[in-house]
Amino acid sequence: MIKIKQLTKHFGKQEVLKGINLQIQAGEVVAILGPSGSGKSTLLRCLNGLEQMTYGGIEISGVKVDANQKQREINKKFRNIRLHTGMVFQQFNLYPHKTAIQNVIEALLIVKKISKEQALLKGEKLLARVGLLDKKDEYPSRLSGGQQQRVAIARALAMEPDILFFDEPTSALDPELVDEVLMVIKELAKEGMTMVIVTHEMEFARDVADRIIFMADGSIIEESVPEEFFVKPKTERAKKFLKIL
Amino acid sequence: MDLVWSNMPFLLKGAYYTLLITIVSMFFGSIIAVFVAIARLKGNWLIRWIARAYVSIIRGTPTLVQIIIVYYGLVDYGLKLEPLMAAYIALSISIGAYLSETLRGAIQAIPKGQYEAAYASGMTPFQTMTRIILPQAIRIAIPPAGNTFIGMLKETSLVSVITVTELLRQAQLLIAQYYVYMPFYLAIAVMYWIMSTVFAILLERLEKRLSKYE
Repeated sequence: MIKIKQLTKHFGKQEVLKGINLQIQAGEVVAILGPSGSGKSTLLRCLNGLEQMTYGGIEISGVKVDANQKQREINKKFRNIRLHTGMVFQQFNLYPHKTAIQNVIEALLIVKKISKEQALLKGEKLLARVGLLDKKDEYPSRLSGGQQQRVAIARALAMEPDILFFDEPTSALDPELVDEVLMVIKELAKEGMTMVIVTHEMEFARDVADRIIFMADGSIIEESVPEEFFVKPKTERAKKFLKIL
Repeated sequence: MDLVWSNMPFLLKGAYYTLLITIVSMFFGSIIAVFVAIARLKGNWLIRWIARAYVSIIRGTPTLVQIIIVYYGLVDYGLKLEPLMAAYIALSISIGAYLSETLRGAIQAIPKGQYEAAYASGMTPFQTMTRIILPQAIRIAIPPAGNTFIGMLKETSLVSVITVTELLRQAQLLIAQYYVYMPFYLAIAVMYWIMSTVFAILLERLEKRLSKYE
């Protein structure tokens, strides 16, 4: 479902991703862990083209992109990939000028171009799924961080993506609001959604992920099932990381 | 004072033109502003350069000179415009430059995350700009743009020099007829003030309505 080959990314002269190779199967939930600055968010953002890779290539839902293709070609491919993927951001990034339900259905209306009645019906279903149907006409500013993030998840689900990307979905939340968001993500995992989650929530990662990817300094340095990673990590780096936390 | 009252219809006709010129120029100026602001932010180097030159020239020259160039200057090239048309064109171009700067600042104030959320959901750059970024930017731009509009209302008095019969010109015509100055000048000053105030109140209402999501 996702194939990453020799993905390399530079910010100026600094190499932030050093030839990442990774494959993710349909239905898999993968958690990417690592100290800040290890490149985990950058890796995730390269997968839907929000960051431009310098070398290497990826294949998602059958769409292949290679860094040495023409820019126009790359842009086109990523627009295609974005139709197959959804993303949830650390800062939610809800549209502040639209209500909860308008946030959810915006892309349905203008990207998928389905009718407003159908979109609203779907939007209500999705908001119900994240437990926020009663807030459908509220603007984001009237919602708590946890509620905003749940709306953002509903918005990402609206496009019926094959894969969902989560970029530290709970890092901007007050501690008491974290659980409501994690619950929704766990629910999605149970339903078989393919997900790639960058997170600092260790317990959650252990609980929800099928596989842990541990990154440091722009490389994947450990890759294993949660029981193994959290109980007896192989590398010194991972041991240090888990102890510090 | 009686002279003012008995000539009120004549002055009101001037006020009508003042309002008309303000509204038409605001309308076309806003359209110009949207294109120029986006050109400055998203265009290639040539488009950016042209947009910058436009803003720099308009902001660096007096509006009165611009009006005179459009009305009297273009005649040299065989382009003889009606005074009212010349006023619309000159003032639209003028206000467009000022508004484009306001709008550019407002677009830049929109967080990067808004673009990313839109792109990630499959929107094109054009859809992102028109559906997500501009609606938010326009709300931010409305208070400063409102001040520009009120300034515009007053600047319309400049087109009296190209014989457009707006408020100031009408007063001058009456003065030439009756040889009385102060009552007419005071009368139009009051009329400008009333129009500005009404504009300000309308803008405040609009601002409130648009900020309901904050």
